[in-house]
Amino acid sequence: MSRNASSAKALAQQRKSRRKWLTFLRIFKYGVSNFSRNAWLTVAATAVMTITLLIIFITFVAQNVLADTATEVGKRIPRSIYLTPETTAKQAQPIIDEIKKIKNVEDATFISSAEARADYALQNKQNNNTLDAISEATNRLPATIRISLKDVNDTNELVVLVDKNSTLEKYIDPLRKPTFIGERKKATSTIASWTAFAQKVGIVASVVFVSISSLIIFNTIRMAIFNRREEIQMMKLIGADKSFIRGPFVVEAVVYGLIAAFIATALGFVFMIASVDKLQSYGVTIAPTADAMIGYAPLVLLAMIGVGALIGIISSLLATRRYLKI
Amino acid sequence: MILLDRVTKSYGKDLKPALNRVSLHIEPNEFVIIVGTSGAGKSTLLKLLTREEKPSSGKIVVGGIDYDTLKDKHIPLLRRKIGVVFQDFKLLPQRTVFENIAFALEIAGMTSREIKNTVPKVIELVGLTGKEKSFPHELSGGERQRVAIARAVVRQPKILIADEPTGNLDPKHSWDIIRLLEKINRYGTTVLLTTHNVDIVNKLKRRVITIEHGKVTSDQAQGSYRQ
Repeated sequence: MSRNASSAKALAQQRKSRRKWLTFLRIFKYGVSNFSRNAWLTVAATAVMTITLLIIFITFVAQNVLADTATEVGKRIPRSIYLTPETTAKQAQPIIDEIKKIKNVEDATFISSAEARADYALQNKQNNNTLDAISEATNRLPATIRISLKDVNDTNELVVLVDKNSTLEKYIDPLRKPTFIGERKKATSTIASWTAFAQKVGIVASVVFVSISSLIIFNTIRMAIFNRREEIQMMKLIGADKSFIRGPFVVEAVVYGLIAAFIATALGFVFMIASVDKLQSYGVTIAPTADAMIGYAPLVLLAMIGVGALIGIISSLLATRRYLKI
Repeated sequence: MILLDRVTKSYGKDLKPALNRVSLHIEPNEFVIIVGTSGAGKSTLLKLLTREEKPSSGKIVVGGIDYDTLKDKHIPLLRRKIGVVFQDFKLLPQRTVFENIAFALEIAGMTSREIKNTVPKVIELVGLTGKEKSFPHELSGGERQRVAIARAVVRQPKILIADEPTGNLDPKHSWDIIRLLEKINRYGTTVLLTTHNVDIVNKLKRRVITIEHGKVTSDQAQGSYRQ
């Protein structure tokens, strides 16, 4: 008797789960068939979703490129300690060792007076007057310790080192102060603050673009659902569950997201690869970002699908909500 | 089958109530016609029965379900027990006749085999055999209303609410629809019909409930239309 009861219970449970599965399949079927039966709407919504995802893609790349470029520019800001022209590499080595101990320092190199002169001549090889001037000049260029920093804005420890280091005191050029101290500091710190500002602008622009495009896609889906509000009303009145009414809309929106992700990723890569050489020639550091994106292309596609599907799900859930009260 | 006890529905404190202390009792298997001018409260009454609206006060019991204790999540289950037919048919425009009717069974989680067995029988009942694959826009008004009725009765509801089902039809098609409703009533379904059609009301000789200004002003066993 009790065995019968328990097997009947199991059977009912089985039937219930089968129904759930059946309902899920039907929701899926309706979603896909809505997608294919509304050609105009499908094209419009997929197009808007594609543009949204493309904007997200471009914003992401631009944000990275901007950050890389800013870092690159930061590294190019001269952080130099000038030593007397006679200073040799050997004499400067203990100072360089000290400087390298500072956490924020990425690298420090010594450039002798002669090397500096050769460098200068190379830089001005087009300019005969300057070349003549160099060869005739008696006053020599100083020897230099060139320093690259991890965080371009943090020079505090360097300043302390210049103040306290006794070896450095012996060799430092009394006429030329290090570039990160006093008057010269202002110029370099302005460049550094500009790059920091550019990075902040990049982040704000990303947020704004992504919000705007999400709003647009949300509105498109909302209009699509508004067009079918009578259908929704009818479904409610003949006793469809909320999930049964909502489900197909969500599935439909996810399909938009899926297709748009493929198109947007393809377009994004085409744009990016096409513009690498051009931008690189303008001094924009796009190569590392482009290389990383190409290396992780499947992951990028997956992320785009994820974002597209997420926007679709959220928009369709929000847009159907107001029609589903009771 | 349907019980309303002093039901009042008002949409705003300062507005006159759409229904004012209406009490009704409808027996199982009755065929009831509700008449009244536009704005008299007929639509509100039907909306209360399908639980699109909640009453401001009073008690509603339909098919043994007390609406006071009905939870929101169980409303779909209630609606599956009540068939509804509208003046404007409300069919899914992009689905065939078969799919429109099958939809009512799909939402209840019926298997495809059950659906394939049930739907053709209902299509035959409403006289649309051969039109299974037509889309709504390929049908006449009368045929569309038959599809809507088929959809409403395919789950064999205890109650069928027909809200001016003949409002958009010519007299011949209107009578076809009324005959169909009578047939469904004979099979044991309580039918609630609202209409403006004097001819139908007078010839049917059924129970007629008249609603005016939110109140029941007459309730006759074999009634006629009184203006």
